[in-house]
Amino acid sequence: MRRTLSILFIVLVMAGCGGETADISAVPELPETTTEELSAIIARSPTPVVLNVWASWCIPCRSEAPLLERAAQSAGGDVTFIGLNVQDDQEGARGFIAEFFPDAQIDHYIDVRGNIPVDLGGGRGVPLTFFYAPGAELVELHSGVIDERTLALQIDEILSR
Amino acid sequence: MEFTLLGAVLFAVLPLYGVLYWEARRGNAASCTKNLWDIALAGVIAGVFVGRLAAMIGDGVNPITHPADMVLIRGGVATGPAAVAGIATVAWLGREELWPVFDGLAAAALAGLGGWHAGCVVRDACLGTASDLPWAVAQDGSTVTRHPVEMYAALGLFAGAIVIAVWRQRGRPAPAVPAGLALAWASAVRLLTEPLRPNLSGGPIAWYVLGFVAGFALALWAWNRHRHGRSAGNAPVGD
Repeated sequence: MRRTLSILFIVLVMAGCGGETADISAVPELPETTTEELSAIIARSPTPVVLNVWASWCIPCRSEAPLLERAAQSAGGDVTFIGLNVQDDQEGARGFIAEFFPDAQIDHYIDVRGNIPVDLGGGRGVPLTFFYAPGAELVELHSGVIDERTLALQIDEILSR
Repeated sequence: MEFTLLGAVLFAVLPLYGVLYWEARRGNAASCTKNLWDIALAGVIAGVFVGRLAAMIGDGVNPITHPADMVLIRGGVATGPAAVAGIATVAWLGREELWPVFDGLAAAALAGLGGWHAGCVVRDACLGTASDLPWAVAQDGSTVTRHPVEMYAALGLFAGAIVIAVWRQRGRPAPAVPAGLALAWASAVRLLTEPLRPNLSGGPIAWYVLGFVAGFALALWAWNRHRHGRSAGNAPVGD
């Protein structure tokens, strides 16, 4: 019993240490966007585009965020990464960016109602990842959490088109 | 969509069980009294758990404040820590008959790993870097043909499993040699196919090299001991 209580105490202390809230003051408010505006951004992009749809309440989004950050860093300027926060609020979105995308080269937008992914051919579930070749050609739409191999393969695919 | 992972797990478990069953019927594991199936499953579960934990920590996700993320296996499993945890679990559970247990699992583990790679067909994840070879395959709607790299790995691992199972059946190798060679072969297959996989971080090359060296060193050590008339661990000298 004493051992169980000790373990429980240690876990609670560690959880308390790790539960520090991310500082969102350094994260600017996310610009609201529409389907037309976002489509125009993708069409104008001289490079292929990876559009990731996420929400701060979405657990799988948390899992793939570090992967997207790494991909954005390793792709350099060859691929444009866009994050679309949906069905969320500014505070939640900024907190998520501060915690999971602190240094990512990703332009984030917000779509509070969450209609844009549906208009682009996806669904209401998150996460979603759209892969566009130059000229806004949709090459792949990945539903659900993405793994490193799939992300790397699809980036290679849109770079090859 | 996420259930494709379960399909891939079935692809891994069936050959694992099949080889264990075949070896048991052939009397290959006669010197081992442990239930190898139970030990193998425990090793796999421990490996996936530790590998996922390591991947989360590596990605900066705190597993204590975000425990639900543990179940997102598709979010990533760190290969090296997973392999170490799996092997350590097998070693612990089979500690009374260490080498017979490891040898008994050698061919089955290769077959299971091969099945996991072959399971790419249900996960739609077989393709690697671009290639012009005649057997290269393109994604739906694409003109870019690619190496079916996971099938290369699966074939290599299945071949290793067959060789070791038949060798144990016919040649009665020295204790610990099949286990060491299986580890070296699995690592070599992953190492050789890794450059054909697109990735963001270069892949766990160091772990593969470590696995190859460790496996080969174990096999050499065991063979040398056997040659000089001493058995490795608690297994009987070649019969």
